[in-house]
Amino acid sequence: MAKKIFALVLVVMLLGVVGMVSAQETRWDGADDLPVNPLECANGEAAPADAAATEAPEAPAYDGGMAVNAPDLTGAEITVVDIPKLVGIGYFNATAQGTQEAAAELGNVTVINDGPTEANIDDQITFIDNYITQGVNGVLFAANDPVAIAPVLQKALEAGIHVVGYDANAQPDAREWFVNQAEFNGIAKALIDSLVTEKGDSAAFGIVTSTFTTPNQSRWISEMWAYAGKCYPNLKWLETVEAQEDSKLSFDQANTLLNKYGEEIQGLFGMTSVATPNSADAVTQAGLCGKVAVIGLATPNPMKPFVESDCVKSVVLWNPVDLGYAAVYVMRAVVDGTFKPGDTEVSAGRLGMLQVVNGSEVLLGPAFVFNKENIGGFDF
Amino acid sequence: MTVSSNEAPAQSGFSLRALLIRQEFILFVITIVGVLLLATQSDKFLTVDNILNQGRLVTEVALVALPMTLIIITGGIDLSVGSIMGVCAIVLGYSWKNLGFPLELAIAFTLVVGLVAGLLNGLFIVRLGLPPLIMTLATFALYRGLAEGISQARSVRGYPDWFFEMGQKNFMSYEKGVPNQLIIVVIAAVIVGIILARTPFGRGLYAIGNNEMGARFSGIPVFLYKLVIYSFSGFMAGMAAWIYVSRVSTTRSDMGTGLELDAIAAVVIGGTSIFGGSGTIIGTVIGLILIQLLKNGLALSGVKGDSTTIVVGLVLILAIVLNNFIQNPPEWFKRRFASS
Amino acid sequence: MTASTHSNSGAASKKDGGFLSSLRGFFGSQEGILLIVIIVLMVAVGTSNPRFLSQTNLKDVFAANAYIAVAALGVSMVIISGNIDISSGALVGVLITLSGNLAVGLADAGWPLMLVNIIAWVAPLIGGMVIGAVNGFFVAYLRIPAIVVTLGMFSILKGGLILVAGGNTIYNLPEGYTIAQQDWLGIPSTIYFMVILTIVVFLWLRYSATGRSIYAVGGNAEAARLSGINTRRVIMITFILNGLMVGICSLMLATQFNQIQATAPPGLEMFVITAAVVGGVSILGGTGTVLGSTLAAILVKTIGSAMVFINVSPYWLKAVQGTLILVTVLVDVLRRRRQSRQ
Repeated sequence: MAKKIFALVLVVMLLGVVGMVSAQETRWDGADDLPVNPLECANGEAAPADAAATEAPEAPAYDGGMAVNAPDLTGAEITVVDIPKLVGIGYFNATAQGTQEAAAELGNVTVINDGPTEANIDDQITFIDNYITQGVNGVLFAANDPVAIAPVLQKALEAGIHVVGYDANAQPDAREWFVNQAEFNGIAKALIDSLVTEKGDSAAFGIVTSTFTTPNQSRWISEMWAYAGKCYPNLKWLETVEAQEDSKLSFDQANTLLNKYGEEIQGLFGMTSVATPNSADAVTQAGLCGKVAVIGLATPNPMKPFVESDCVKSVVLWNPVDLGYAAVYVMRAVVDGTFKPGDTEVSAGRLGMLQVVNGSEVLLGPAFVFNKENIGGFDF
Repeated sequence: MTVSSNEAPAQSGFSLRALLIRQEFILFVITIVGVLLLATQSDKFLTVDNILNQGRLVTEVALVALPMTLIIITGGIDLSVGSIMGVCAIVLGYSWKNLGFPLELAIAFTLVVGLVAGLLNGLFIVRLGLPPLIMTLATFALYRGLAEGISQARSVRGYPDWFFEMGQKNFMSYEKGVPNQLIIVVIAAVIVGIILARTPFGRGLYAIGNNEMGARFSGIPVFLYKLVIYSFSGFMAGMAAWIYVSRVSTTRSDMGTGLELDAIAAVVIGGTSIFGGSGTIIGTVIGLILIQLLKNGLALSGVKGDSTTIVVGLVLILAIVLNNFIQNPPEWFKRRFASS
Repeated sequence: MTASTHSNSGAASKKDGGFLSSLRGFFGSQEGILLIVIIVLMVAVGTSNPRFLSQTNLKDVFAANAYIAVAALGVSMVIISGNIDISSGALVGVLITLSGNLAVGLADAGWPLMLVNIIAWVAPLIGGMVIGAVNGFFVAYLRIPAIVVTLGMFSILKGGLILVAGGNTIYNLPEGYTIAQQDWLGIPSTIYFMVILTIVVFLWLRYSATGRSIYAVGGNAEAARLSGINTRRVIMITFILNGLMVGICSLMLATQFNQIQATAPPGLEMFVITAAVVGGVSILGGTGTVLGSTLAAILVKTIGSAMVFINVSPYWLKAVQGTLILVTVLVDVLRRRRQSRQ
């Protein structure tokens, strides 16, 4: 009978091996399979990404959805709910702050910030569903999964509720507009350029990401792969590790990379606002500041100690407060009918006019690079 | 209104009293009171549309809660159902997209994989005498690992339209009406309920939960029964995977995370003893309704975020405390009650 | 889960027969097997990539899961007494938030730093014991099954955390707060926590009267009660001590970084139970030692780290973890069968 059991275990393992063999990777670990569009090389010196400057020659047609029979609420009081991927992390607290700022400025918008405590698709869907039942006028979202969230967003559109995304997109036809924080290729270029400035164009580096399939992260890695391939072919890609969005895992995974590659590793990319500070923590605690550069996406507050101690030279991010702020302005304009399919720009309060790109996306602006000089001026 | 029956005097005979102190009845009353209270907080709550929609959302938990009831009645537990759902969702997408199965075949294959995953649990538990908690804890990690390993955490999308019929449409494709999956849940609940209450198999499960040795000596095929319920549990998790993928239109390896705890909570709130030997499907169904409507009602009355889970946790503990108290009142209470 | 608890008490059944046979006894035990597996794995991976055995990596391998090991000490005691705790993950989230907010809040209020740090360190321990006492009270005195109580507690704590704290990341921690970052004599402080606590709990369970009564209660509660053990008190103590261990675990997690994320690592409670079970604690209660759970926590990290070193996709980690539980339990079952045949 022990043999039988053994055979069963063997079958299970075989199943696994089949899966392992069949999953071939063409790009770097953690990259997706979508087309890439690397920007022009920086000619050896790092410049802030100028994503907005390189627009496609002819703008694609609007490909977003439409709210069905939405009531005319021009200028009227509206209630908008904001459901990010999860609540309780610095990044989405900052976007929530932005939504409230915009609401206060506009005066006729009430924003409810709510959402799940874990980045879980099922919870997020249930939240949106409940708010549809409750009867809000608009839904702002940052999707945990672009496809899984689509049916419930479509349900909102069918109920005459306006839907605008930010930070993480859904399928275009499931929402009206998406406020894009910065183009993927712009972020990718800013990250790679920062590494090259610090460690030269043949540096060896590792990546700490959330999971290999998180849409934004895998887009960035793809664009980094493409941009580096085009401009810095000598860069040495060591490995991508996953750390979900967890401090402890990020710290442990960064440590494992440092140990595995020893002297060889010269840089670490943190692809999430959790991975970056904790990778910096790992490098600091291992006494490798200066030897290993940490570059990544992060909010400024957790990064301040590392930037001030010179362990981290530059942090790449857009301003998440502005992102939430812009999303509310876009929502208001959509409800008022002042922002329609086919328009090429939209007014967003103190941010001025924002451009429309890729058919139905509103571009916030170029990526922002925080460094020792300017990081003190931000508090989020 | 049904609540009025609560005020009926308990003198009219033994059976009425027995009914009144049954956990299912107490729960039913709690549910009604809770629903009415919540209905005063939001006029969107107690509407047919909302209730039916909640039925759609609770389907996956309900499907696995049914076999979970049977398993807990025998004194076992199945922690791996969420992971089986994950691996089944991946198998569905993988066999369709990567192995080129026709989608109908992929669905059938998914259900078979769920069945086999459950059967594997059952075999180890039965043949090696492993405690169910340990065995399903191991497969909790193992099956989730297979889901992640096979898919490499890549999701599969782009299913044909007919596939969404099950998860997103209503009965006979009416614009408004009963969600398709809710019908499946109701049918499944009725069948499982009848089997548990009215067949030798059902009685055998109670016997196993009360005294496994005794059940074996009295000629009940204990091993077979256990294999059946664990396999059934896997099968239903596969079913949940299919319906869930159809509802959200993509597969991901993290699907079903935490499903086991939701199901166990519903079963236990529904009055099934975690030590085995007692419990009913009606109880589980009321437990499911209570949890789902509480969460939904609180959310609609403006309670934000996951703080609704506090209420679920409290109800879980208090329901058991209350039930223990009524079924088995402490001495001081009995004395007082008898003297008055 | 059934009431049938006819297990042979592993800790007590040590028939003495000299050094050699006790050595053989050790290597035949769950702890011995785990130790051998860890060593074999380290040597194997170390030969393919010598950096695996570098001092810094060994330090990380031993230190990284120290917090799991400490929490597993607590849950091992609970399991030995015949109960279970699945609320530890949510509790850790609450306690690290408590500690971090106290540290930042009191430091901002101008309290002396030393005092602030001590309060922030002690608070999670006390908080853990209070929650442990609540769990214990429901289990011991109201006779609610532990799995129900701790499942309920899990929901309450998880929801309560977001309601009260809003779940913000906490930064600007005061100077000197981060003790888990420190090295003492070149060894990370967390390893000291793990090793010392493991030894203390091991000896306490083995030699103190209360410790031994935990085995008695888990083995056969009725017999224990008849032999004069206050079973309610014993269950209460195990849950309070479990809370204390979760508190220490939270302290180790909170003081490791320069900022505190107000949630515990996902799936922590299952990880902790896995460590206890792989370590040889029988879920039926009554048997097991805590040496095994600590070794199991180290083994899981060794495997995780080894997978990165030998370039296996990390997606297989969980599958390996599951297989590991299965294999250890199978080995345990087969060994017991052989023993009972002899």
